[in-house]
Parts: sequence; structure tokens; C-alpha cells
Amino acid sequence: MIASNPPIVQTVGLCKTFKDFWRRAKVEAVRDLNLDIRPGEVFGLLGPNGSGKTTTIKMLLGLLYPTRGRISVFGKAPTDVSVKARIGFLPEESYLYRFLVASETLDYFGRLFRLPARVRHDRTERLLDMVGLRHEAKRPIGEYSKGMARRIGLAQALINDPEFLILDEPTSGLDPIGARQIKDVIRTLGRKGKTILLSSHVLADVEDVCDRVTILYGGQQRAVGDISELLRERDVTLITTPPLEEETILQVRELLRRLERKDIVTVSNPRVKLEDFFLRIVEEAQAANIRTSGARRGGMVPEFLSQPTKSSAEEIVETLVSAAQRPKTVEAVRIGATSREDEPSREVIDQLLKREGAESDDDQPQAPASAPTIAPAPAGRPKAPQADRSVIDDLLREDRNRDAAREGRS
Amino acid sequence: MSRVWAVARHTISEGVRMKIALVFLVLIGLVVLGLPFSIEGDSSLTGAVQSFMAYGFSATALLLGMVTIFLSRSLSDEVSNRQIFLVMTKPVARWQYIVGKWLGITLLNASFLICTTLTIYGMVRYIQRTHPPIDPTYDAAALKNEVLVARHAIETKLPNFAREAEAELERNVEDGLYDNVPNFDPEAEKDRLSKKHEAKWRIVGPQEARLFEFENILVDRSPKSLVYLRYKAEVTGYPPDEIYRSRWLFGNRFKGTPEYEVGTRHMVGRYHNILIPADAVAEDHTLTVRFINQNPHPAEPQFRNVIEFRKADEVELLFIVGSFEGNLFRLAILMFCKLMFLAAVAILMTTCFSFPVAALASFTVYVLAGARGFIMDSIDFSSADYANMLSSPKEFALNSIAAVYGALGWVIPDFARFDAVDDLVNGRNVSLVWVLQGISELGLIKTSIALGLAVLLFYRRELAEVSM
Repeated sequence: MIASNPPIVQTVGLCKTFKDFWRRAKVEAVRDLNLDIRPGEVFGLLGPNGSGKTTTIKMLLGLLYPTRGRISVFGKAPTDVSVKARIGFLPEESYLYRFLVASETLDYFGRLFRLPARVRHDRTERLLDMVGLRHEAKRPIGEYSKGMARRIGLAQALINDPEFLILDEPTSGLDPIGARQIKDVIRTLGRKGKTILLSSHVLADVEDVCDRVTILYGGQQRAVGDISELLRERDVTLITTPPLEEETILQVRELLRRLERKDIVTVSNPRVKLEDFFLRIVEEAQAANIRTSGARRGGMVPEFLSQPTKSSAEEIVETLVSAAQRPKTVEAVRIGATSREDEPSREVIDQLLKREGAESDDDQPQAPASAPTIAPAPAGRPKAPQADRSVIDDLLREDRNRDAAREGRS
Repeated sequence: MSRVWAVARHTISEGVRMKIALVFLVLIGLVVLGLPFSIEGDSSLTGAVQSFMAYGFSATALLLGMVTIFLSRSLSDEVSNRQIFLVMTKPVARWQYIVGKWLGITLLNASFLICTTLTIYGMVRYIQRTHPPIDPTYDAAALKNEVLVARHAIETKLPNFAREAEAELERNVEDGLYDNVPNFDPEAEKDRLSKKHEAKWRIVGPQEARLFEFENILVDRSPKSLVYLRYKAEVTGYPPDEIYRSRWLFGNRFKGTPEYEVGTRHMVGRYHNILIPADAVAEDHTLTVRFINQNPHPAEPQFRNVIEFRKADEVELLFIVGSFEGNLFRLAILMFCKLMFLAAVAILMTTCFSFPVAALASFTVYVLAGARGFIMDSIDFSSADYANMLSSPKEFALNSIAAVYGALGWVIPDFARFDAVDDLVNGRNVSLVWVLQGISELGLIKTSIALGLAVLLFYRRELAEVSM
């Protein structure tokens, strides 16, 4: 359905050359860029500094004019005023008015969209809630930290409930909470059908939220495609389980040798991500009501931003901000392939999964009851892997029994 | 319009929050409120009020001009600080942004001008009440009748000097006076004779009289109404006491009006007003005035002086057509029209240049507009010989400059043409026609040209342009 709709953004042979005072070409910032951004996708624009990301965005917004090539946004020229009514833009720096307070800032930008006073007021309140700055709404933005200003920048980009959101380095200058929250907002808006163009050189951000990406270097497009396809590691299989005994690991290793003639490459206890750890500490502080003049935990994504979906806004925020649902300790077994096959052996996976649905082991009550998540490689938006200890135990028990029987026969 | 208004409101808010308004009000407060205590004038009540108003409005015009240029910084700041990225990615057309900025600056100016005008008005009334009078009766009446009014002025109807010159020329030709004159130019001779007749008419010898006639005096002709004769005379052979004594006769009994005689004792080289009952004006709205160079005060010393009424100080008849308040209001509108134009110029400059350059360029336009008449006169005077432009580098340079100024004249208005401060100070009517001219020429045509250029340049500009 997405593919059948015309692209929101289309560029053909787009070039931008910056010239000096004497009109001599100095820098070719963008060269022959062909870009299609489809409705409803989160599109990542990647590249190192000076690769032409921001120049491309400025041309999409009509702030720069192309030297050559064509751009259409919603089928029209980017300078068309009607196009801008459908766009939200967060620039690489916040560029806000230092003398205005946050609520006045949002009100001003709301006026430019001709929003009625009641709607402006309502959206201002909700967006300030969302970015966690309602308690600072009457402070001049000149007094804000960079991260707080960034949050207001995001809020102003959403004041018109845009169909197409352009975010240039949205997480720069933000603390981990803010960065996580902005990523959550992007994910939520993406789920709700918004088209989003995300430019960043923070690769983890892009990986977390984007459906498709393009990579620019030297003003030229070097790669483009679905992020799940681009990042798929086809020669590695990753199995994540709750903690295993040394003996169990040895047996798994033996099993793999026997069935696949492959060895385990690494066995380790992965560390929890610093981001998760940090967020947990801050959440504890917030729970203890420790005072802060900075940004607080944001609220729900306002409903005006899109049609309501099954998941409630509360749910979104909880999922995005809270780290409570993640496994507390995980031991990962990384199985390296001894040959470069495209897919891991289905036999091994089938064996590992054949006891799917078995009851949990009473000795491991903390383990979740769901089936283990075994992925050939992290693809697309990675989810927190969860494993069922009982499945592994059953599997190994069967294996031990079989070995014992074999020994008995011999 | 809502987007234009949104940008305008924002500009006003910026002007207020960034303390520009506060600084202006403090400065204008210092100037306007401090002036009455520092200006002495000619120590009369009229002089004090006139000096205060003249200095007060001049200072206001200068300060408001500078504030207008400074307020245009709003636009260049938004470009250099890149807030323009956020504004122009909203559904705001570039013309709406430019007009919004101009409107914001103009409305701020309007509020400043209203505050200043009201302050000056209040201070005039304060001076009127508190200034120590020299002659309580005369001072109060002079202020009320000659300054705090709106009077229409009519200049005397001059004789047809050209016709007189032509007649004399014909007589001289018939008499053969020019027969031996080589390369005789009749037109030049006629011009010379015309000037001679005028000079002769402007001089009144001892015991001689001069007739002044005024037309179109549309005044209530009741004896309770007054008309004012305003004149300034120079005296050949300066009297020792600097006073010349003379008689004035007003009215024409052949037209059925009463005749009034006024004996005067006036200072040389100063303007004087003589009040006359309005029934001296005839039914055909004309007034006949005779000046007699004769001392009406026999007891006082007799000097046989020649009196001269110079062309630059033409004798005028004035009559009240409106109130001081109305005059003040119309003056403020004319000042506002200039500020409208200046704001448009400042916006135009900031669409092309960074603020320091734009401010310099705007200030130059402001000065050129203020001194345009003077500059054009100077250039016309200096380069009299246009016929041979290539005869010398000097001629070429002067004529080139004149051509450039001539071209600039199409865009840059002559502010002096709309300077009504002198009229207000002298109690002359700032006419509605004049105000309408100011509104149409400055407020509409020239301002629209400047704003149109600004919009055109702004549309062509790449707002995120990287300068190298």
C-alpha cells in the first residue's frame, strides 16, 4: 500500500554548489542526489559531517535553491506555502527566540499556521507536557539549557500536527532521557503513519527508529535501502538466554559441533547498556521527587498529532521511557558460523525450538513464559530478546538421556 | 493577514522585550521633559513655547529615525541567528514576513510618536501655565492667538512686474535706447527690468506708502473675529534704537468696509503680527492694506529710514481655521509618514545587507531625504553650464552627480517638503491637503516602492546561503 502512493519527497539529479562572492564554484555540497521518501516511513539521512545532509534538508525546505536538478515535496515546489503547512521542521540547532518564553514560542509558531487560539493553547499545553517542560513554560528560552531548548524545538515542529516531519540531528545536545524520549516520539509518530526524515550522524539513533536509510558522503549517495536488509549479518546467529551453567554451555557447544560442525565463537554476559542504567537511576530519582530546574520526564504524545491507535499514549510513554521490562541479567551465547552460509541451519533451530510451549521450570520462576526469541541476526528494530530457560533445559535433558542410552547400549 | 499580523506582533514583542522601547522612552523623556528647563528662547512665553516645540519635535524626529533603523535589526538578526529557518519553514509567504516586519516597526513607531506628541502637548500646557510672563496680558494672548492655533496664510498679491517690464522695454525700444547696444538680448533686458520694478516696489521711502492686496480670505467677517498681518521688514540706515515706527491702514471704504489704522513700533528684522478685526475684509473676500512709512508717534524721534519688504519674508495675512490640537495631530501624521518610509527603507536594506551596513545605508537615505532640496540646489548652482558637459572634468563630475541625484529623487523623497514643525511653531495650519499629499507620496507610493523592492530581493535570497 505504501509503495503505491506517490512519494512525499522526490529529488532527481539534485545538485547544490556553493559559490563565492565572484560567483565562482567553491564547494559542491550535494551531487546528483536521487531520493524518494515514501508516505508513512521513517527515513534516515546518514553521513559524516559535511556530507550534504543539512544542505539537502535546506533544499527540501526551500531555504536553499538547487543549482541543478528537481525537488518535489507533496508534488509541489518546496517554496510553495501550502507545502509548508504540512511540514514540521526541527533544525540542527534550536534557533529559538531568546526573549520569548516557551509557551509564547509555541503560540507564535501556532499563529503562523493560523491555528485558532483555543487550539494553540491546547496544543501548547500538551506539547509542553510531552517534552516535560510545562513547569518551565514561563521562563525565557534564553535561560534554557541546550537540551531544554531542543525539546521546545521539537514541540514547535509538532505544533501543526505535520504529515511530514524533518528532524535534523534531533538528539544533539540532549541528555539520554531526552534522546530516548525523542526517539520514542519518532517511533510513536512513525507507527501512527507520519512520514519522518531523520538526519543524524548518531548511528544508533537512526538504527533504532528508521525504516530506510541513505548514506551520503561527499555530497553523493553511497547506499540506500531498508535498514533491516542493509544491516543483516547473514553469517552469524545470536541466541540469547537467561544465565546458563558452565556445564550446560559445554553441552550446547558439543551439540553444535555434532550437529552443525560449528563452534561457539563467544560466550559472555553482556553488559546492560549505559543508557538503560542511566535511565534507571534517573527514574529512581524522579520517583523520590528530587527537585530539578531542568526538564522532567515527558508526558504522553499528544493525541492531536495523529489518529488514535490501539496502544494508549500512556502505554507508549511507559514503553519508551521505562526500562522495567528489560531482562535484568542476560547471558548471551554467540554462535559463530564455520562456513559462510546465508542462513543458519534450520535443523539446529528446530531442535532448539521443538519444545516450544513447554511449561516453565519451577526452579526458574523469574524467567518469562514466552517462547525464546532466536533471530538469525539483529534486523530491523531490535526487540529485547527473551528466552525460556525450560526449553533449553528440556532440550539438554533429552540430549543427556540420549547419550546415556547410547552409552548403555555400548 | 493573520500571518502578517502574527509577524508584526512578534516584532512589537521583540522591540518591547529587548528594551528598545524602554531606551527610547528614557531618551525622549530626558529630551522632552528636560528641554523646558534648559531652553531660554527669547524669554517671552511665546518664545519659550516655540523653542520647546521646535527642539522637541526635531529631537523626536531624529530619535525616532534612529529607533526605526535600529528596530529593523529584528530582520537581520533573525537571518544571522537563523531563526528565519523556523519562520520560513512555516506557511508564511516571504511578502507576508516582510510586510509583517514593517508593520511591527511601524506600529511601534506609532506608539512612540503618540507618547511623544502627548508628552510635548502636556509640556506646552505646563509651560503655558508656569512660565513667568513679561507682560501677562500680551504674552498669554500672543501665545493663544499666534502659536496655539492653526492659521491659514495668504501671501500678498504682487503687481505684474513682467508686464510693467515689457511696457518699459517697448518704450525704451521706441526711444532708441538700445540702438547702440551690441548683441542686444530683449529677453535678458526684460528680465532685468522686471527685477528692477520688483526691487523698487519692495522699497518704501520716507513718507511713501505701499499697497498690499490679499484675496480669498474665507473668514467669518464679524468684528469679533480677527485676522493677522504677519510681516518682517528691514531698514536701510539702521535706527539707533533698532525700532522703526510706521502706520498701517486696513480696509477699503470703496468696498464698504470699515477702515482701521494701526500705529506700530516694531523691532527691525523680526516678524511681527498685527491683529485686525475681520470686518475689514470685503464681501468679495479681499483685504486692502496700506503701509505708510511715517512715524505715527509725534513725541518720539523721527528717523527718515527706507523700509524694505524682502521677497524671502513676504507679507502674509493669516486667519484661524483650526485648533492647535488638530494641527499637532496633522503634524504627527506627517512625521509618521516619514517614519513609514524610513521603516520600509530599513527593511529593504536589511534584506540585502548585514545590520551594520544596512544601518549605515538607511541612515544615509534618511540624511539624503532630509537634505535633498539643499543638495539639489547646491548641485544646480554649481553646475550652471549643462550645455557643455564634456568641457571639463569638473563639469562632467558635477553633472554626473546631478544626474544620479535626479535619479535618486524618484525614490528618495524630499522630507523637507513634509516638514511641518515650523508651521506648527508659528501657529500656521498644517493643511489636510498637505497631510494627504504626505500620506499618498510618502506613506503609500514611496513606501510601497521600497517594500516592493525588499520583497523582490527577499524572494530571490537563499536564506540558508553560505557566504564564502
